[in-house]
Amino acid sequence: MIVDLLTGTVRAGTAVLYASLGELIAERAGVVNLGTEGSMLSGALGAFVVTAWTGNPWMGALAGGICGAMMSFIHAFLVITRNANQLASGLTVMFFAMGVTAFFGRGYVQTQINGFEPWAVPLLSDIPFIGRIIFHHDPLTYISFILVPALWYFLFKTRRGIILRATGEREDAVYANGLSPKFIRYLAVLAGGFLAGIGGAQLSIAYTHTWVENMTQGKGIVAVALVIFAAWRPMRAMLGAYLFGGAQALQLIVQQQGYEVSPYLLLMVPYVLTLVALFIVERRRVSRVPEALSGVFTGSGGG
Amino acid sequence: MKALSLQLRSPSIGLQWTATILGPLVAFALFLLISDANPIELYQIMVGSVIGDWYGIGEVVIKSTPFLLTALAAALPAKAGMINVGGEGQLALGALVATWSAVYLLSDMPGAVGLPLMALFGALGGALWAGIAGLLKTRGNMNETITTLLMNYIAYFTIGFFCQGILKDPASFNWPFSPPVAEQLRLPTFSMTSRAHVGIFIAIAVALLVWYIIYHTRLGFRIRTVGGNAEAARQAGINVKAIQLGVLVAAGAIAGLAGMIEIAGVEERLRPTTGVTYGYLGFLASWMAWNHPLRLVATAFVIGTISVAGNSMEMNSGLPASSVQILMALVLFALLIMGRRNKT
Repeated sequence: MIVDLLTGTVRAGTAVLYASLGELIAERAGVVNLGTEGSMLSGALGAFVVTAWTGNPWMGALAGGICGAMMSFIHAFLVITRNANQLASGLTVMFFAMGVTAFFGRGYVQTQINGFEPWAVPLLSDIPFIGRIIFHHDPLTYISFILVPALWYFLFKTRRGIILRATGEREDAVYANGLSPKFIRYLAVLAGGFLAGIGGAQLSIAYTHTWVENMTQGKGIVAVALVIFAAWRPMRAMLGAYLFGGAQALQLIVQQQGYEVSPYLLLMVPYVLTLVALFIVERRRVSRVPEALSGVFTGSGGG
Repeated sequence: MKALSLQLRSPSIGLQWTATILGPLVAFALFLLISDANPIELYQIMVGSVIGDWYGIGEVVIKSTPFLLTALAAALPAKAGMINVGGEGQLALGALVATWSAVYLLSDMPGAVGLPLMALFGALGGALWAGIAGLLKTRGNMNETITTLLMNYIAYFTIGFFCQGILKDPASFNWPFSPPVAEQLRLPTFSMTSRAHVGIFIAIAVALLVWYIIYHTRLGFRIRTVGGNAEAARQAGINVKAIQLGVLVAAGAIAGLAGMIEIAGVEERLRPTTGVTYGYLGFLASWMAWNHPLRLVATAFVIGTISVAGNSMEMNSGLPASSVQILMALVLFALLIMGRRNKT
């Protein structure tokens, strides 16, 4: 049962992990994107529809990423080019995506797809205990395992990563180097939207194999919270995502075991846990917010 | 130089406004065309539904009332430099506690006593919910934007829990909703030809009260000082944390009142969907009005009008409810693109 719980944790946490990594990139460049929720939703639908059309989940995942990036492009344009309020813009993008996906997803609620199936890694999956937990997943989950250290390496060990972080900390320095902070922010928000879209895709074509209206249920918002919990570090974002995923997995197990607990109460647990986790880290320190973000959360950023 | 630039600018502002108003309408018309609907016909129906008769105007008034209150719930904390995106959850909890009080405590009371008490319970529910976020801010140093957002989802599941659990109507078979509140605990209507109820007067009174407190009292001055520069306010001897907690609790009470008004004026029973999206739309109405407690009366009406027009479009065209959301988002995008010139 412990093995089931931990396997479920990884499976359920992957979507939020992708979205958190995406949001982390955007926030490192100085843009808070509540539209992450919208990117996830459109990624979930886009991936589902293309998988249904082509029968190829890889095409679906790519489409999901592109849909997520397209949603985040709206946010990027509004806040970077038009200097709009980041929270208002993000909420509107979320709203827009909820409407658009509900509208265009109507015909797909009953559709069956051949999505990603869990694939056991030869040899490694035979390791007792760990093998089952880590090496028995869908391909998108394996990619996320690689993505976390890769993103850490990119952010902290490469020149481009330093430029990205500088965009969120010292815009002037980026200017002085002859680079456009606006352009870098665009790239960061688009990359973030792409990853959030993949996260949504994992939800619809790997985890559940269904499309349900508004199926992300705030996971994009949770991702934004987890980035703060993670203090803008990829490894800790992974920890946070699995915490959330763990609570979801627990809920499924409790239901399967047939305990008489209200499903609403169980559905609530991951969100409460996110809040509690955030509470614990925020009590211990005043977290180092990327400079450009501090204005957004205190209401003085943007028009 | 300055005069010249102003002269050059003024036509472009007019053009911008025209584009801001027409842009979303044209974009939505294209959307309707690809959905096999006739945009001209639907726009006529939509306009007719909101200004065609007293009933339509009444519907706009009903719809605008919760937006007005949730907008105030965003505007008041904004004056103290706080961002309350939790109107959604605060409204839901207000509706929950108000319904609970109506079903279990007030069902035999006359309306003159029961309604004010029910409103009080609603406000209490919202205030407690916002108070959690307030304490997390002042004690736990947690950012209220994130906590209020997360708590919206927790609130949503809490309402579901009660609607399926102890507040479930025994006569409802398997539907998740509460029993209806007693007949005398419904808000009185003031018009023979529409469903409009007195909630709008309560909402406008609250807006005036918030405006008066913020701009004409010492407390309001303190709130604005904290919003202007929290550190300077602290130096000046203002209890910043008490103000921050206070405005959030007050905002929660206002949103909770909106929840009570929805139950007593419109819905008559609590459903998991009661007031869903009202909090977010209120937040956006407040943003559109520069968080000004009187200007947001107008923006709340704009959002209320679009909602009612959208609903009639939905009914007349067979398009799903989500198309209203798309229209709303397009209007907001246009406003975001235009940007705001001055800030207060």
